[in-house]
Amino acid sequence: MIKFSNVSLVYPNSTKTVLEDLNLEISEGEMVLVIGPTGSGKSSLLRLINGLVPHHTGGILAGDVSVDGISTQLVKPGGMSHLIGIVGQNPLNGFVTDTVEEELAFGMENLNLSNDVMRKRVEEVLDLLSLAPLRARTIATLSGGEQQRVAIGAALVTHPKVLVLDEPTSALDPIAAEEVLSILQRLVHDLSLTVVIAEHKLERVIQFADRIVYINGHGETKVGTPEQIMLDSPIAPPIVHLARALGLKDIGTTVREMRRLTHEVRGKNYHEATHEVSPQTSISIKIDNLKVNYADHVAVNAFSTEIYNNEIVALMGRNGAGKSSLLKAIAGISKEVSGGVGVVGSNPQNLKGKERLECIGYIPQEPSDLLYGQSVAIECEQADVDNEINPGTTAKLLSQLVPGISGDTHPRELSEGQRLGLALSVVLSSNPKVLILDEPTRGLDYQAKRELVSILVSFAKSSNKCVVLATHDVELVADLATRVIFIADGEKVADGSTLDVLLSSPAFAPQVAKVMSPHPWLRVSDVTAAIEKL
Amino acid sequence: MKKPSLHPLTWWIWAGLLAIAIVRFQSTVLTLLCVGAVAGLVFWLREDAPWGKSFSWTLKLSLWILLVRTLIGILIGVPIPGTTLFTLPIIELPSWMPGIRIGGAVTSERLSSATIEGILICAIILIFGAAASLTSPHRLLRILPVYVYEFGVSVVIATSALPQLVTSVSRIRQAQMLRGQSLRGFRSWKRIAIPLLEESLARSLELAAAMDSRGYGISRKRSRYRPIKWRYTDYLVILSAISVVGLS
Repeated sequence: MIKFSNVSLVYPNSTKTVLEDLNLEISEGEMVLVIGPTGSGKSSLLRLINGLVPHHTGGILAGDVSVDGISTQLVKPGGMSHLIGIVGQNPLNGFVTDTVEEELAFGMENLNLSNDVMRKRVEEVLDLLSLAPLRARTIATLSGGEQQRVAIGAALVTHPKVLVLDEPTSALDPIAAEEVLSILQRLVHDLSLTVVIAEHKLERVIQFADRIVYINGHGETKVGTPEQIMLDSPIAPPIVHLARALGLKDIGTTVREMRRLTHEVRGKNYHEATHEVSPQTSISIKIDNLKVNYADHVAVNAFSTEIYNNEIVALMGRNGAGKSSLLKAIAGISKEVSGGVGVVGSNPQNLKGKERLECIGYIPQEPSDLLYGQSVAIECEQADVDNEINPGTTAKLLSQLVPGISGDTHPRELSEGQRLGLALSVVLSSNPKVLILDEPTRGLDYQAKRELVSILVSFAKSSNKCVVLATHDVELVADLATRVIFIADGEKVADGSTLDVLLSSPAFAPQVAKVMSPHPWLRVSDVTAAIEKL
Repeated sequence: MKKPSLHPLTWWIWAGLLAIAIVRFQSTVLTLLCVGAVAGLVFWLREDAPWGKSFSWTLKLSLWILLVRTLIGILIGVPIPGTTLFTLPIIELPSWMPGIRIGGAVTSERLSSATIEGILICAIILIFGAAASLTSPHRLLRILPVYVYEFGVSVVIATSALPQLVTSVSRIRQAQMLRGQSLRGFRSWKRIAIPLLEESLARSLELAAAMDSRGYGISRKRSRYRPIKWRYTDYLVILSAISVVGLS
């Protein structure tokens, strides 16, 4: 169905080869997963399929890409629209109309299909993706998962043979992500649709993939079945790390396979793990009956809690549950607040200038919002000035956190992980007492996530600090958090140690816990530690 | 009460007619009345969408224009006789610039004529700003014929970039506050201007790519899903504007 023959790609003004001599044939009804570190060219590979690269982006392409026998060199992306449906990284930026129905019809209007065909197909897709209750809604008011489903539906109405998706679940909570992925799998099985998908969170998608294309970022690619690629890939889900740590001969990519393979390991008689109860230190953040009201709805309702020093608290919950609103209220940048928030004894709304910087560090959902310098060096100097600290302190911190960033680089050219590192060093250079992060792992690969975990853990361990973060990433929470607060509809649903909260719900349990159930282990290191104690 | 859904061109035609009426009125009171009614209408009818929020920015912009226009009107211009309010020092100009004076006596006539002209300009800006914030740019695209394809793409991108810019500004200013920086003054704007421009450019390119990959403009003819019909409410809105023109 899709054929890459001797494809090489170089972008102008760049010395890096994105792809070199890629040969790949994807047959009908196959689901292919594209993996690689951030900035390695996954999106470029996806956009080669319908010719957006190089028609839209420029770049030098050698070799040929053809879909269903049509070469992208001869046909523009528009001419492929009946053949290929493409869903971008941020669906909201690609919507052309306002309401769900109009958006679904847009592609067919362009193909000049007759009205009765359009009506029928829109109904079909509404049913297929369970969008019928949302048909008249304004797209901007939908939740992230719903928007993603609309984007997929809009790509499907033209009955394409190929569906291309760029990180379709990166902004979604685990349940919405599962919903989207199971829809994709159903399409592959029922309609023999060919699906090409790029994703960082392998634990979510790897069980659906027939083959994996691994891009290492220097032009080299490797193609194989998930089992072949996972044997030695540095990018691997926790389940594969578990198999490696246990020294298993076979590598399972699903929880079911891994449970079969680890039957013996689980059967041994382990010592009860002793719960380390961390000593309660002084209160860092005190929230008392907090309410956040927007014009038409209540985002946070009667929320009370206390967060202590040295804690790393993860806020979890569905898209739109009120996590961001709660974080903004703690940071004191939300105006529609009633009730009390105290951060280290002061009201965050009254903090200004240097005082604010020394009290609260906040990383917004888009870390790049914090950055507006023309280069990394300028950004660091500005942070030194703002914090009234010795020149060079921020730059030094940055080189500790993420080594190897040149000062001349523009913040936009950094990879997601590096950009987050820069934002973190700008914020941490003022040595705040409380650090707040809103979904820090969007678009981060495993390597960048590991670095983030070590930075945050060492920050929280240093005296009198605490970290509060909102995230959908269960595996990150298992690695990082000491406590989890689960919210739904702005209300606290669960609050407890990471172990208790994550193990109590199967949807939010990390992969290792699912495999090793009923043993209370969340991480690979928990398992190996328990085995060593035998 | 359910807000009426109108044809995307209705508000633009309405704005054009009102602008004609305002120019013909030549009356500050009626102009202000008109602007007040328009503003009320916008705050009542606007949707909770990015373009709906753009009106308050238009309002701020036009107040600035009014201020600058009045100041210039006072400082520069031919002397108008009348009651003198106060006198500014006159700046000496070379002899080849006769008839122009900077500074000098400020009469109440001069002040009022400068203000009235300023109000007229602002009123027209505001009325078109109202049309922009009441009409979804996306719906506007749907009624455009395909042969203006390139024009259509640029219209959609331009009209959807502006409201998104407003959203981005508030997001970035919030982040600035978090970095403990002052939000006042020219410098704080200078620092976000470039990232803003970059962001909206990147967004526009993404939208253009999405429209292209979904086949916009490949067929000479474009069919319509649930065509937008011209309804009696549209006639009502237009009629109301025509009657205002008639009154003037």
